[in-house]
Amino acid sequence: MNGRVILSARNLGVRYKRRGGLLRPTRYHQAFSGLTFDLYQGETLALMGRNGAGKSTLLKVLAGILRPDEGRLINHGVTVSLLSLQAGFDPELPGTDNAVLSAMLLGYTKSQARACLNRIAEFSELGTFMDEPVKTYSSGMRARLGFSVAMFLSPDVLLIDEALTVGDRSFREKAEREMSKKIHSLQTVVLVSHSESQVDKLADRVIDLDQSEHGHVH
Amino acid sequence: MAESLSPTTSSPPEHDRRLAPRDAFEWAFDAMAARQWQRAARRWATLRVVYPDHPPVWIQAAVALRELGSHGEARQLLAEARARFEDHPGGWVQGANTALADGDVALATRLLEEARQRFPDDPPVWVRSAHLAMATGDRESALRFNRHARDTFPEWAPAFDQHAELAMAAGDWDAARQRWAEVRRRFPDHPAGYRRAAEVEERQGRPREARRLRLAEEHGVDWLEQSDAPESAVVAPPRRRDGRNFVDLVWTKARLNLKSEANRNHLRYLWWVIDPLLYMAVFYVVFGLLLHRGGEGFVAYLLTGLVPFQWFAKTVQHASNTIVEGRGLMNQVRISPLFFPLVAVVQNAGKQTLVFLMLAVFLLLYGLPPTVHWLALVPVVLVQLLLMVVVGCALAMMIPFVRDLINLVPTGLQFLLFASGVFYTLDTIPERWRDLFMANPIANLLHQYRLILLEHQWPDWHQMGWLTLGCVIGLVVVILAYRRLEGVFPRVVVE
Repeated sequence: MNGRVILSARNLGVRYKRRGGLLRPTRYHQAFSGLTFDLYQGETLALMGRNGAGKSTLLKVLAGILRPDEGRLINHGVTVSLLSLQAGFDPELPGTDNAVLSAMLLGYTKSQARACLNRIAEFSELGTFMDEPVKTYSSGMRARLGFSVAMFLSPDVLLIDEALTVGDRSFREKAEREMSKKIHSLQTVVLVSHSESQVDKLADRVIDLDQSEHGHVH
Repeated sequence: MAESLSPTTSSPPEHDRRLAPRDAFEWAFDAMAARQWQRAARRWATLRVVYPDHPPVWIQAAVALRELGSHGEARQLLAEARARFEDHPGGWVQGANTALADGDVALATRLLEEARQRFPDDPPVWVRSAHLAMATGDRESALRFNRHARDTFPEWAPAFDQHAELAMAAGDWDAARQRWAEVRRRFPDHPAGYRRAAEVEERQGRPREARRLRLAEEHGVDWLEQSDAPESAVVAPPRRRDGRNFVDLVWTKARLNLKSEANRNHLRYLWWVIDPLLYMAVFYVVFGLLLHRGGEGFVAYLLTGLVPFQWFAKTVQHASNTIVEGRGLMNQVRISPLFFPLVAVVQNAGKQTLVFLMLAVFLLLYGLPPTVHWLALVPVVLVQLLLMVVVGCALAMMIPFVRDLINLVPTGLQFLLFASGVFYTLDTIPERWRDLFMANPIANLLHQYRLILLEHQWPDWHQMGWLTLGCVIGLVVVILAYRRLEGVFPRVVVE
């Protein structure tokens, strides 16, 4: 990759407390440690590793949601967002309200969120259901609305956790098309995946968290 | 096959019971598709006995044999094919292929020349001719034959494939890229248009573009064009959520929470009036009508204390657990944890406006009409809001770390209810305890409310000043603490 470095991880480490009591000593689960790498502009980086290797945790650290226990993350002036589906959805509220709220939570201004509303409604193919409470939706419809909102999110670095399984088959194909398009636009993407074939198809570079425990990244 | 061996001799005659040639050939074609040439050759040999009048048993057999390296045998079969099927180009085309594989360029050239004369309307003849010309280094002829194939058979993909392959063979990558794009345009479902084009990009050191082309094979040519176009649909979010956006977000969330709360009941927003009305009615009946306690005006005294206190209690109770409850959202999006308790404060304030309105109506009916002093309610309410922000945020911040604290919140509020002079007047407290009593900010605030609403006086500005100062200091401490804990909460709440 020849782009400039936009995020630098230096010796990152995160551990989770396994709950002890007042009397039992607390034990820790080390998600990962000593992780050092650079993220370049425009690349697609895949994170792999077994369950519990800390893939999602690393994404949260990159997104600025979690503060690492060790090391530091240097952001060279870019916006980083986790692609979150259905963030902050309230089942009692209609689709329109949820779309606006979710978009605002994802970082948009209120006016941006409102301006997107028509396109979100169109992309989600929900039609008049947009004005019905989300609790009346099927889970597939809910997922469609969530995906449609997230689709318009365009930070400098997009973080994607796990394969997106969204709605029925035809919508899933549409979602995959859009997602692939997004990944292949100039956007920088970090994605978590278990599927080697998906990684081959999408990623420029892979970090295997199982093997990077000693700071080795390839 | 076993059927034909059956002993029954009745009609239909055995001849008609045989497989149709096309179906029988499947047998051998399957082996070829699996690239099992030995087996294919044997099957063709077998089929040749039964269907000697069909070209494939000769020509395809030769192909299988050529793959096995038996060029001599293949040539014989093809020569036989040419002799038997004069109007079938396969014998010539495959003959040329075999000759070329053998290194016999002269024979290959002769066969294809013949083929072009005999079968000018057969596309493979021209593509093979171009191939041969390329193999012998005659690029000009190769292009000429290929152009003829493309011009004459515009529906036939291999001709266009070859056009692009010729550019690749010549190392002319730009032309190759354009020609593969032409293939994709004409034959959007033809895999080579994506795969070979991806190889061109890879050769050129553009792995990203190569991957995009491979993905396009899955998603179709429209996808490729759309992803070429600059993205107009997406809107970039602002770099950072600034103060205004944050306030906007808190406001929107609180408003929508109220809407959501109302949607849960049949009477919807009406509950926000009914609830305090019932509440006030209970106190009016018990203390005003039944007990006659506290003398004249006690009900008004009670309610002017109880209404602001309930506001405080509900807000704090609600806010205290918000960070723990917000763990899902907190782990999905980057958001200041202050968002959660602040939404609770705003949400309760929204409902409280109606309650204050009811209180005003009650006071009016009770014979305590508004005076100019009511203006002073504005600063008093603002100080109470500030106090609730500080207490609510502080509790919400501590509870994720010490979960057990949540069990003490109702008890604490109960204690506060009795320690703030809701049910008794200030003059029932001994003089020497009064300063301590007034140091309780809630008791102090309730006192100010009553000064305004019952005594028709201005509040004690001196005490209000101290109260404000205390709240501001508390607010600064809380904000600093939240800054420090921002990246810690998402983990603590799930631990």
